[in-house]
Amino acid sequence: MRSWSSKFLVTCSLAMLAPAAASAQSGEPQLVVAVPSLPTPKNVDTAGGQTGVLGIQIAQMIAADLRSSGSIVTIDPDKLRRYTPTEATAPLYRNWTNSNAGALVQGYVQARDDGRITVVCYLYDLKTHREMGRAGFAVGAEDWRRAAHRCSDTFHKAITGLPGHFDSRITYVAETGDRTQPVKRLAIVNWDGTNHNFLTQGEGTVISPRLSPDGQRIAYVSFTGGMPHVRVMDLDGSNDRPLLAGPPAMSFAPVFSPDGRRIAFSIAAEGNTDIYVVNAGGGFPQRLTNTPGIDTAPSFSPDGRSIAFESDRGGSQQIYVMNSDGSGQRRISFAGGSHASPAWSPKGDLIAFSRWNGASLNIGVIAPDGSGERMITNGWQDERPSWAPDGEFIVFQRTQQGSGQTWPYTVSLNGSEPKRLAIPQAGSDPDWSGASQ
Amino acid sequence: MKIMIALFLFAAAAPAAAQPIPPPGAPGYPMVQGPVLAIPVLEADFRAKAGSEIVRFARDSYVLTPQSQATLTAQAQWLIQHPFVRASIEGHADGRQTREYSLALGERRAAAVRNYLIASGVPPEQLDTASWGKERPTTSAAHDATWLQNSRVVTVLKQPPQPTYPMPLPQPQLPPPQGY
Repeated sequence: MRSWSSKFLVTCSLAMLAPAAASAQSGEPQLVVAVPSLPTPKNVDTAGGQTGVLGIQIAQMIAADLRSSGSIVTIDPDKLRRYTPTEATAPLYRNWTNSNAGALVQGYVQARDDGRITVVCYLYDLKTHREMGRAGFAVGAEDWRRAAHRCSDTFHKAITGLPGHFDSRITYVAETGDRTQPVKRLAIVNWDGTNHNFLTQGEGTVISPRLSPDGQRIAYVSFTGGMPHVRVMDLDGSNDRPLLAGPPAMSFAPVFSPDGRRIAFSIAAEGNTDIYVVNAGGGFPQRLTNTPGIDTAPSFSPDGRSIAFESDRGGSQQIYVMNSDGSGQRRISFAGGSHASPAWSPKGDLIAFSRWNGASLNIGVIAPDGSGERMITNGWQDERPSWAPDGEFIVFQRTQQGSGQTWPYTVSLNGSEPKRLAIPQAGSDPDWSGASQ
Repeated sequence: MKIMIALFLFAAAAPAAAQPIPPPGAPGYPMVQGPVLAIPVLEADFRAKAGSEIVRFARDSYVLTPQSQATLTAQAQWLIQHPFVRASIEGHADGRQTREYSLALGERRAAAVRNYLIASGVPPEQLDTASWGKERPTTSAAHDATWLQNSRVVTVLKQPPQPTYPMPLPQPQLPPPQGY
């Protein structure tokens, strides 16, 4: 499936597809996907609007999703012919040959008796006349965006071989009030800014939320009681509890292992900070680092066998990698300045970080063996990178000089202009999750 | 023990308290927190005697400057003289440091101050430490010159426990006078 995408290199002659032309210059293979409106057998009023309108909106959203991935060009619904629901499962390939597209999205929207809607979508290869992927869902009519995003994820995987991030969520800390006494609330939002929800109500300061890989739990740091400590709760706010039993200890920087069974974090005591790991359900923590410096910000490799972390044992903050039992600790960042907040990519090939160069803090990536370090952002203060599930995008926190306001931004690995996450207020500590089911 | 000392101080400061104490709520019962034990009064006295409740640090540093040491020596003397007042040593870092490192650095700075106070004679059990990382900057502005303001440790006095007064013992019931 992956090899055929290179057959549809877009040339500069397709002037109407400006993004494609721009990307073709950078040499990246691009697939053109036609996304006509999804038809409906019968136009019915639902809680999410008329099914005929939903068919247009879902097609527009699929097109926008695929286009945003950078390696796909789309032709949007208003430039394409309409078709009937019966065509959805049996495309009339000859009718699309003039579209200059390499692939075609079809499907339909149908109201159900229970008030929900059925959304079905297919991806067809217009050259080989074969189906590349399909997805179908019964969802609440007001959740039509989820259905569209999950269609996009299915198609992204079929085209690129990698999971998409279109149905993924970002958890972060919503910030309101004066910065000297901020109100901080845990919040979660779809990556496109829809479906925004608060998880805590701002009664105590909270930072550093991290979703579990299954998207059902959240680990975070609370200052309630005067001592910052790691807590874990279910996403619906239930089962909120401290990670560690016993006497109060200052713990922070939690992160789930890829299998969701363990949590790595830091404990600070007597001026010394080290990294520990403990079962996600609690228990006795195992100590992984043992230097007099500050060892913190752990991040698991996707296979769970290694942990990247930051340490100032050599004088300044730098990125280190160790085996997940604490053995084999070695420094990998040497580019000058200091490096912090490592985040291992879901593909395993890169570690994102924030680098202080003496005047500004910015996001960069480096290979786990320490090679190929390069910077991706160019702000006054960009920090705390977290990867989208497709490994192509990073969400991070950007602070505005002067006001000090922070907002989560997303940026693609190829260094596109960062885009501010569409949320209702300022926010910090974003964490991107793949899970959403 | 501390309550006893607090009581003693209270008695010394308020002559009325030297009198037999009436039961709570009765006329003549002393104000619950004598002025000696109110936090604003303690803080003002602490600041006046120690010079400041704050010591500051250079970027990434937890080293106590000679000026900081002088301040902390004076803070220690005050704390030794007020053993019934517990203090929370709260470390902060500047917003231009990353979140986790700020927390660890704040803790490291608080530990340095606590160790200095203990070395100066303050009983360890009188001191707690905490770190706020970069969660509580002193100014809402963000620019390169905020280092000096935000990289700090604050000695925060805690409200001493309320004095508790022994309830007057019930009058022993004298046996009714026997007839002569």
